[in-house]
Amino acid sequence: MAKKLGKKARKFARKNLQSAAKRNRKIRNQINYRRPRRGGSAAREDGDEDVPQRVDDATMATNDATDALINGLEFSEDDAEIDAGLSDSDGYLSEDPGCPYYSDSEDGDTVKDCIMQDGLDRQNDDINIDIKKQKKKLKKLLDKDPEFANFLEKWQTELKNYRSKEDSDEDGMDSMDDDDVSNDGNSPNTKMLTSKTISEWCLLVSKEPKSPALRNLLNAFRDACQYGVHSDSPSMQRFQSTRVFYQIITFVLTESDNIFRALLEISDDANKGQIMNLRNSKKWQTVDPLLKSYLRNSLELLSQLTDNKILAFVLTRLRASAVLFSAYPSTSSRLLKILFRLWASGNQSLSLSAFLMIREVASLLPDSLGLCLTKAYNTYLAGTKLVNDRNTKHIDFLMNCLVELYSLDVQKSCERVVTSMVQLNSILRQASKTREKEDLRKIDNWQYINCVNLWVRFICCNYKDYNLNPLFSQVLQVIRGVAHLFPGSRYLPLRLKLAQMLNELSACSQMFFPIPSLLFDCLEIREVSQKEETQKTKVNFSSMLKVPKNLLKSRYFQEECVLSAIQVLSAHFAQWSYHVSFPEIATIPLMLLKRLHEQTTIEVLHRPIKRLIDQVNENKEFIERKREVVSFSPNDKASVDSFLQEEKNSGNASFKRFYSSIAENHQAKGKMVKPIPKTQHYRQLLISKGVTPLCGCREKNYQVLM
Amino acid sequence: MGKRSGSKRKDKNKVILPPLLPPDVDDDDVHISDEDLDFYGGKKNFAARFHQFDQKVIDRYVGRTAGDEAEVERLYEEREKRKASRRPQEEDGDLEVDPVDALPVKTLQGELVYNRAKKARHEENTGSLKSKAQENGADAKQGIKKDELKGKSKSKKGDDKVKNTQSQIEAPKGKLHSDVLEEVKEELSAEELFEKKKAQLAELGMAMLEDPEANIRSLNDMLSISNDKDQKVVKLGLMSLLAVFKDIIPSYRIRQLTEKELAVEVSKEVKKTRYYEYTLIRCYKAYLQKLISLEKQSHFYPVAVRCMCALLDTAPHFNFRESLLASVVKNLNSSDDVVRKMCCETIRSIFINEGKHRGEATIEAVRLIADHVKLNDCQLHPDSIEVFLSLRFDEDIREDETEEQKMKPKKNKRWQNQESPKQLPVSDKKKTRQELISKAREEVDADLRAVSFTLGPKERKSIQRETLSALFETYFRILKHTMSISNSRSKANIVSPGASHPLLAPCLEGLGKFSHLIDLDFMGELIACLKKLSGYSDRQDEIPHDNTLSVSERMQCCIVAFKVWRSNLEALNVDLQDFFVQLYNLILEYRPDRDRGEVLADALKTLLWEGKQQDMLRAAAFIKRLATFALSFGSAEAIAALVTLKHLLQKNSKCRNMLENDSGGGSLSCLVAKYNPEAKDPYLSGALASVLWELSLLEKHYDISVSSMASNILSMASLNPTQNPVSILNVNPLEAYRDLSIERELSKPPSKALSLNIKKKRRGKEFVALSPDMLQKADCSVDKDELEEKLQSHFAVLRGISENERLRAELNHTLSSINMYKEYKKQKKKNLKLKIVKKKLARV
Repeated sequence: MAKKLGKKARKFARKNLQSAAKRNRKIRNQINYRRPRRGGSAAREDGDEDVPQRVDDATMATNDATDALINGLEFSEDDAEIDAGLSDSDGYLSEDPGCPYYSDSEDGDTVKDCIMQDGLDRQNDDINIDIKKQKKKLKKLLDKDPEFANFLEKWQTELKNYRSKEDSDEDGMDSMDDDDVSNDGNSPNTKMLTSKTISEWCLLVSKEPKSPALRNLLNAFRDACQYGVHSDSPSMQRFQSTRVFYQIITFVLTESDNIFRALLEISDDANKGQIMNLRNSKKWQTVDPLLKSYLRNSLELLSQLTDNKILAFVLTRLRASAVLFSAYPSTSSRLLKILFRLWASGNQSLSLSAFLMIREVASLLPDSLGLCLTKAYNTYLAGTKLVNDRNTKHIDFLMNCLVELYSLDVQKSCERVVTSMVQLNSILRQASKTREKEDLRKIDNWQYINCVNLWVRFICCNYKDYNLNPLFSQVLQVIRGVAHLFPGSRYLPLRLKLAQMLNELSACSQMFFPIPSLLFDCLEIREVSQKEETQKTKVNFSSMLKVPKNLLKSRYFQEECVLSAIQVLSAHFAQWSYHVSFPEIATIPLMLLKRLHEQTTIEVLHRPIKRLIDQVNENKEFIERKREVVSFSPNDKASVDSFLQEEKNSGNASFKRFYSSIAENHQAKGKMVKPIPKTQHYRQLLISKGVTPLCGCREKNYQVLM
Repeated sequence: MGKRSGSKRKDKNKVILPPLLPPDVDDDDVHISDEDLDFYGGKKNFAARFHQFDQKVIDRYVGRTAGDEAEVERLYEEREKRKASRRPQEEDGDLEVDPVDALPVKTLQGELVYNRAKKARHEENTGSLKSKAQENGADAKQGIKKDELKGKSKSKKGDDKVKNTQSQIEAPKGKLHSDVLEEVKEELSAEELFEKKKAQLAELGMAMLEDPEANIRSLNDMLSISNDKDQKVVKLGLMSLLAVFKDIIPSYRIRQLTEKELAVEVSKEVKKTRYYEYTLIRCYKAYLQKLISLEKQSHFYPVAVRCMCALLDTAPHFNFRESLLASVVKNLNSSDDVVRKMCCETIRSIFINEGKHRGEATIEAVRLIADHVKLNDCQLHPDSIEVFLSLRFDEDIREDETEEQKMKPKKNKRWQNQESPKQLPVSDKKKTRQELISKAREEVDADLRAVSFTLGPKERKSIQRETLSALFETYFRILKHTMSISNSRSKANIVSPGASHPLLAPCLEGLGKFSHLIDLDFMGELIACLKKLSGYSDRQDEIPHDNTLSVSERMQCCIVAFKVWRSNLEALNVDLQDFFVQLYNLILEYRPDRDRGEVLADALKTLLWEGKQQDMLRAAAFIKRLATFALSFGSAEAIAALVTLKHLLQKNSKCRNMLENDSGGGSLSCLVAKYNPEAKDPYLSGALASVLWELSLLEKHYDISVSSMASNILSMASLNPTQNPVSILNVNPLEAYRDLSIERELSKPPSKALSLNIKKKRRGKEFVALSPDMLQKADCSVDKDELEEKLQSHFAVLRGISENERLRAELNHTLSSINMYKEYKKQKKKNLKLKIVKKKLARV
C-alpha cells in the first residue's frame, strides 16, 4: 500500500514539475531535495541548495570553501523528474500460444564448450564437489536413521514459511523491478529457449512484423536483459546456451527500430509531435506494451552491462529509436541518467556514443533539453575537478560535447550560459575586491578555468550565427581579470591558457587581441638553477595552472615556457600574417625573441626560437614588400581589408604552414592544442557522414544474422 | 595604599569641597530602572524633575527627623511604602538606621560619602536646606554612579550585571575595612578580581570626567591599577586613562613654575589650579613613561602604540610631545601593518591639522623622520616617507624669501634715486605719528596672536622653511643613497630586484609634488642625479640591465625631472633631451602587472602630453613607437598611448604625413630613409618615413574605446593640418589609463540586461565543435565477432554468478541439514528420556 502511495506522489510531482513555471522551479526544487534521493551524490545535494540564492544575488559574498566551488558554479537540477522511475510494471507480455517452441539437442554441448577459465567457474566446480560430498554424508545419515528424514522435512517447511514472510517484508524496500516479477498476474513463461526457436521467431518477425512471435521474442529479450538480476527467478532457466542469449539480444537491438517503425507506420525522421499524435490512435494501443517493454528492457540491459564495447553497441542501436522515448517521459529521464553516467566515464568511444545518444534525445525531445543541458554541465564540472596528464583529452572531448549540446538551441541555452557567466564574474569581482587567498583560490582552480574555456568555445562556435556580444564582453572581462589577478611566473600556465582562449576568440570574431602582453613573462630570461636536478620532472602545462615553487628555476619549466609561448605567439601571428600591419605586430615580440635567443643558456631552445624569428622575419619582409607598392593609406578600410586576400585564401603561405607544423609538434608531444575550429569544414563532413550512418550498418548486420 | 591616600584625601576634601552636583533625583530613583536613568541622562529635565520631587523629599526628610508629619503626607508615604514593598524599606533603613558601613556607597572614595552622610546626620537637627541639598547631592552621586556603571558595562560588552553589583557591594566594604578587604581578596577568584578592578576603573574614570578638578587625584589610583599583574587589567587601565587624558588635557601647555613664582604668595584659587596642573602633569608623565616602557613588551605593543597615537593626535600641543613623537615616528617602520597604518595616520593628521600645534610638531616630526632615515641607512618601510606627501606649504614660501632679498636693494635704489625728493616733504611729526600707529598696531597684533593661537606670517614662514629644508634633506639623502648603491651594484654586476630601494618610490613622488619648492641651487645637481638614476648613460652600447632600478622607478625619475623643470617656470637651463631618450627606450621595457601602469601613463602625460610643441623628429619617433606599443599591450596601456599619440599629432601637424601612405617614402624623411624600430635614439629611428599601419589593425581592437580612438586618429589624415577631429575622449593619458584598467572595470557594477538576438537560425542537427574524425569513430566501432564474443562472455559471467549463488545455497542447505542431525539427536535423547520418565511415571 505504502508503495502505491509513493508512486502516486511521484507521478503527481512529475506532472507538476512539467507544468510549473520555470522561475518557480528553484523554490520547489529545494522542497524536493528534502526527500531522500536515490543515486544523487550527497555532496551535490547540499550544494544545490545554495545555488538559487547565489544566482539571485550575484554580488553576495561567496565565502564557501573552495571545495564548494563546484556547487557554486553548478546549475540547479530538477532531479525529481529523473527520480520518478518506471511507474508501471509490464515487463511480461502475454504470449500467443500458437508460437512454436523447438527443443534443441545440441544445446547441452554448447554449454560445456564455452567454459571460461576464470576463478568463478573453478570455484563453482569446487562447490559442486563439496556439495556431492556433503550430500553423501547426508544420505548416510538418512540411511542410518530413517526417522531423521521426517524431522528434516518438518524443519524445511518451517524455514520456507519463515523466509517467505521475510521476503514480503523486504519487498517494500526493494526496487521496483522486484515487483515487476512478483506482481505480474500471469506468471512468466518458463519454457526453455533454444537456438532453433529463436531463429524461427526471428524469421517470422522479419517477414511479418505483426506476427505474434514478436511478443515471444520481446519476452525472451526481457528475460535476457534481466538475466542474472534475480538468480532465483524462473526465467533464468530459459537460457541454457550463450548462443541463444546473443541471438536474442542482437536481433532485437538491431531490428526492433525497423519493426516498430513499420508497425507504427512512421518514417525515419519522425519527430516528437508525430509520436504524440499517434498516441491516441488505435495502432498505438496495440504497439504500446511491446514498445514499452522493449525500451524498458533495453535500459535494464544498459545498466547491467559493463563492457564498454557492448555498451557502445547497444547505445548505437538504441539511438535509432530515440524518438520513441518521447512517449514515455519517465523512461527517457531514466535513460538520460544512465547516459550521463556513461558519458562521463573515461572510455572515449563509449562516451562518444553516449553523447551522441544524449544529443539525439535532446534534439528530438525538446522537453528534456533543459534537463540535458543542466545535467551535462554539472557532469562536466564534476568531471573537471582534477586535471592530469591523462584526462586532458577527455576533458577536451567533454567540453566539445557540451558545446555541441548547448549549440542545439542557442536561444534556450543562452540563459544558462549567461547565468554561469554571471557567477564566474561575481566570483572574480569578489576576489579582486578582497584579494584574499580563499577568494583567489576559487579562481585558481580547474573548474573555474574549464568553465571559462567552455564558454569561450561556445562563443567561438556560435559567434557567426548569433549575436553574442554581451556574452563576449563578459568573457573578455573575466579573462582579463583573471590574467590581472595572477601575475608572476608561477601562474604562467594559467596565463598561457588564457592566451589560447583569446586566440580562439580572435579567430572566430576577427577582432584584434594583444596576445603578447600575456606572454612577456615567458620570453624574459630568468635565472636557471645551476644544480642539475636529480629527478627529471617533466613539466606539462596542459595539466597545470600553477607551477610548483621547486620547479620555478628548473630548466624544464623554462623550456616549456618558451615553447608554449612560441606556440601561442605563432598562432597569433598566423592569424594576422596577411594583415598589412604584420611587421608592426611582430616588432616588439621579435625584439624580445632576439634578446632571448642571444641570452638563453638552454641549448634546446635555440633552434625553435631561431626558427620562429626567421619565419616571422620572412613574413615581415614579404608584407613590407607588398605594401610598399600599394597606394592606399591606413584609413582606407576597404583596401586594408582586401589587402592580400587572395594569398590568404589560397592558404599555403609559409607562415601558416609553419604554424601548423608547430601545432602538430605539440600535439605529437601530447599537448592539448586545439586547432582553430573550422566549422564550415566540419559541417560538410557531418552532413554526409555523421547523421545517418545507421542504415547501412543495420542491413549488414541483419544479413549476417540470417 | 588605599587607606593612606584615602585619609589624605579626607583632609583635602575638607579644604576644597568639590562642587556638588545639581540635585536631581530622590532616593527611590536609585532603584529605578535603566529607562529612567536614560531619561534623566538628558539633563534638560533636571530642573523639572527637581521641581517636581523636591518638595516631597524635603518634607519627608524634615518630617521624619522632626517626628511630626502632615496627615496627607503620611498617607502618601504609606502608600508609597506599600507600593514598593521591600526596597524602599531597605533604603529607608539605610537612611534611618545608624550602621554607617551598611550604607551602599560604591566608590573608592567611600569615605567621602560616609563623611557626607555623617555630616548630613549632624546637620539633620538643624534642618537647614543646605544639608538637604547635600543629601540630595549624595544620592545623586549614587545615581550617577549607577549610571556610570551601566555605561561602562555596556562598553565592556557582555558583562555580567550580577557580578557588577556584587563587586560593587564588596568594593566599598573592602575600602572601609582593610582587614575585610584582605579577607575578601583572598576569597575572590581571579575573574572576580578582574571584574572588580574593571568596575573600579569605570568609577574612577567617570568621576574624573565628571569633575576633573576635584578628582584629579584619582589619576594616581588609575595609574596604580594599571600596574596590575593581570594583562587585561593593564590594558583596560591604559585605555581608560587615555580616555580621561583625552578629555581633560587643557588646550595650553603647562609651564614649569619658576622658583620666583613659587616663592610668591598666591591666592587660594591659584593654588588650587597650580595643584591641579601639577598633578596632571605628573600623572601624564608617569603615564607616558609607562606607555613607553610597555611598548617594548610584545603583548602590550599594539595597545601602547594606539594610546600614544591617540594622545598625539588629540594633544599635539601639550607637554612631552617630543617623546610621543619620537616613539610614533619610530613605529612608522613597524613590521606590524596595523600599527604602522595607525602611526602613519597620526603623523598625517599632525601635518594636516597644523592649527592644533602651530606647526611646531610638524617640524619636529619631519626632523625626527629625517634622523630616522639617516640612522637606518634608508632601509625603511616606504610608508615612513610617504607621510610627507601630506605636508602642506604656503605657495609663496620660497618666492618671498628670494624676492625680499632681491627687492631690498632695488628698493633702496629707488629710494635713493627717485623717491628721495618725495620723501623729504614728509614731516617728522607725521613720521613719528605713523610710527606710533604702526607700533600700536603691532602690539595689538601680537596680543591677538597670543590669544588666538596663530602664528604671524614671519614665524610661520620660518617654521615652514625649516620643515622644507629637513624634508629635502631627507629626499636628497635617499637619492644619494640610491645612487651609491646602484653604482656599487653595477660594479659588482648583480642584478637585484627593485625592492632594494624601498624609499625611492615615495621619495620621487614627494619630489614631484614639492618640485616647485626646490631651491634653484640644487636644481642642476638634482637633474644630473635623476638622469643617472633613470639609467641614462653616454655610451649607447651599454646594456641597460646594469641599472638596478625598476622600470617604474626609472620612469618616475623622468617624471620628476620634468616636473622640477616645469614648475620652475622652465627657467632652468638644462637639457632634458636625455630623458626623452630614456622614456623612448623604457616604453619597451614596460611589463604589465610587473610595473605600475599608472606610472607609465603619468610619464606619457608629463613628458609628452603636457609638453609644448615637440621636435618633429622626436615626435614622429614617439608616435611610431606608441602605435607599435599599443599593438602589444593591454587595452588600458593602449588607450593611454593612443591619447598621447593623438595629442602629438595634433600639436605637430607635419607628423600627420605618417597617416598617409606616400609611395616613395615621404618627402619629409631626412637623415634616415628607412624606419628602424629597434633604434635606441629617437632621432635615428627614421620614424618619419614610416606609415602608421598599426592604426588600421587597432581599429579591430576588441575594446571599443581603443578601436574608436584609432579610427578617430585615422580620420585626422583627411583633415587639413590646422583642423582637429572631433575629440571623442577628452582626457589625459593617466585618466584614460585609469578608466580602462581592469580594476576599475571590475569595481563597476556588473552589466545586466543581456539580450541575444539571432543573426541567422541554424538547423539544430549540425555538429559544430566535435571533429568529424571523431564522429566517424563512434559508429562501426564494434564488429560482429567481437560483439558475439563479448556478449557471450557477459552471459557466461552472469551465468557463472547465478550458478555460484545457486550452488552456494544448495551447499548451505545440505550443510545445515547435516547440522540438524545433531539437533535431531538431542531431541531424540530428550524424547527418550521423556519417554523413560513417562514410563516410569506410568509405572509408578
